[in-house]
Amino acid sequence: MAFAESSLARQLPHGLTDMFFEQAAIKTWLEAVLQDVFRRWGYNRIILPTFEYYDALATNASPQLQEEMYRLFDREGHILALRPDMTVQAARVAGTKLYDQPLPLRFYYIGSVFRYEEPQAGRRREFTQAGVELMGAAGPEADAEVLALAVAALQALNITRFQLNVGQVAFLQAILSDAHLDNGALRRLEQVIDRKNDVELQRTLAELGIGGGAARAIRAIPHLCGDEGVLEEARRLSTNASARRAIERLGQVYELLRLEGVAEHVILDLGEVRRMAYYTGITFHAYVAGLGFHVCNGGRYDGLVANFGADMPAVGFALGLERAMLVTHPQVDIAPQLLMRGCAHAECRALAALARSRGLRVEVDVLGRDEEALIAYAQARKAHHLVSCRGGSVYLLHDSSGSRELGREELEKEIRSWSC
Amino acid sequence: MELLTVALPKGRMQDPALALFGAIGYTVSEEATSGRKLLFEDLSGRLRFILAKPADVPIYVEYGAADLGIVGEDVLRESGRDLYEPLGLGFSRCRLVLAGPPEAKERVLRLEIGLRVASKYPKLVREYFQRRGISAEIIPLSGSVELAPAVGLADLLVDLVDTGRTLRENGLVEIETLMESQAMLVVNRASHKLKFEPIREIINKLAAEVARREHEGERR
Repeated sequence: MAFAESSLARQLPHGLTDMFFEQAAIKTWLEAVLQDVFRRWGYNRIILPTFEYYDALATNASPQLQEEMYRLFDREGHILALRPDMTVQAARVAGTKLYDQPLPLRFYYIGSVFRYEEPQAGRRREFTQAGVELMGAAGPEADAEVLALAVAALQALNITRFQLNVGQVAFLQAILSDAHLDNGALRRLEQVIDRKNDVELQRTLAELGIGGGAARAIRAIPHLCGDEGVLEEARRLSTNASARRAIERLGQVYELLRLEGVAEHVILDLGEVRRMAYYTGITFHAYVAGLGFHVCNGGRYDGLVANFGADMPAVGFALGLERAMLVTHPQVDIAPQLLMRGCAHAECRALAALARSRGLRVEVDVLGRDEEALIAYAQARKAHHLVSCRGGSVYLLHDSSGSRELGREELEKEIRSWSC
Repeated sequence: MELLTVALPKGRMQDPALALFGAIGYTVSEEATSGRKLLFEDLSGRLRFILAKPADVPIYVEYGAADLGIVGEDVLRESGRDLYEPLGLGFSRCRLVLAGPPEAKERVLRLEIGLRVASKYPKLVREYFQRRGISAEIIPLSGSVELAPAVGLADLLVDLVDTGRTLRENGLVEIETLMESQAMLVVNRASHKLKFEPIREIINKLAAEVARREHEGERR
């Protein structure tokens, strides 16, 4: 052996994974199902590079996300990064290349993203996101479409017991607008609200000198969670017109989701303040019964595209495929439906071709095994049918019901009766 | 009501935590707690308790293996886990302090080179020294941290202090408090969303009980 046992050549870095056999087939199924749903809603695929300039990817990123990016240098000394998400890339494309195209733009993407974080509780260093971006539409109709599409995507994956917690970051931003906080203070406050820690929240508000109606509203935010009643309460707590507008917008989106028939999956949750730094409006996380972390999240990011040129309001979501795989368990079969002994007859090759043309999974032996060895192999691979040529247009068909000899025409008829 | 799972820390916080749940109507039979059982239900069958090492409680809750948990704020911050922490429970109050031999109090740590600090809280200590611009080597230990300065393993230590007796007995003095700590209620993020009503009911009952006790304490 060329490598010592301690060599890195046979190991994977922490937080990465190989996927094969059924798992790989399940993931492929998820990808196909999601692409099909996105296509039916009028979204077209956008294919983006795996790495690009760090400056582009770090646009509007929080310090935490910047830290989590894998960075590398090109030979001219420019800093590159592996993409930590695809929304910023889609925004770059829209802002720099698609500014004069008919709006709105509807894109879906699917691919790996990379984050240097501790692999735990659903987090990995490379994971697959499938998501959509709806760009060039500012209204509640666009928010509602993206939320309804998230519901459709989860349902298409046979996930039934889930809910979308929908928040509105503009509400908190409006309430804080009078306090003139810098970004650091804002982020600290968001973190404390996000943890729902009231003691720490009171202490932080006092330290930042926030009192009166603003403090009352902020202390209520972690608990504003439920149905429409939440809207009324939030309206009461609003300290200015922008806060009231933010709540009115959330109400409009909720109404549209009711029209769409998906309101049963929606919980209004103004405590939902954790976000990518670029979100400006509604945000949401999807939770599935039995899973301790979200599978899907998204929101509105109206200022992001403008960083790259054209100003364009936008809203989107991303779904984590590996997380979804923890809660949906499609039946996949990767065993060959027809296993054929390799032989030199054109007739036999034609039989394999016939089965393939009917969409069946066909495997032709390339190891020159005899019938007995092939039957053992068929069992190990759980092949549905084994066909072995015995010469003179006579074939052995071996399957769960036993072995029998068939003529060519009979065998063709048999193959045509198998469903794929 | 859906069965909820609560992770409790084994050890000194276990009894006060069970007593708190008892006070809001979730009592456990003596038989359940007297043995070595790590998993038992309350008498109403609405809560399932699991007993875990304190440092493991945030892990059980983050993964959703437990919906709720009780854990010291010190352990919670050290874990860095992503949880809701809606309620301070008012018991097991103590402080995380930097301590050392009496002469250490006079030293200007910022100017020292090769400072060694022993602690069960390596993450919190590293963050604390980084914030203060002090370079220190953190020596992670899992117990008897007071021993470290006496045998020359470390110059200083960071540990949890209740009355301060252990420090005094080992000839050590407090230099600074890093944080105040108390028992906290923690909640899994997804559970809080998906089992909102039953969890809210428990949080509200616990909050009322904690407030009642504080009020009683003030009157006394």
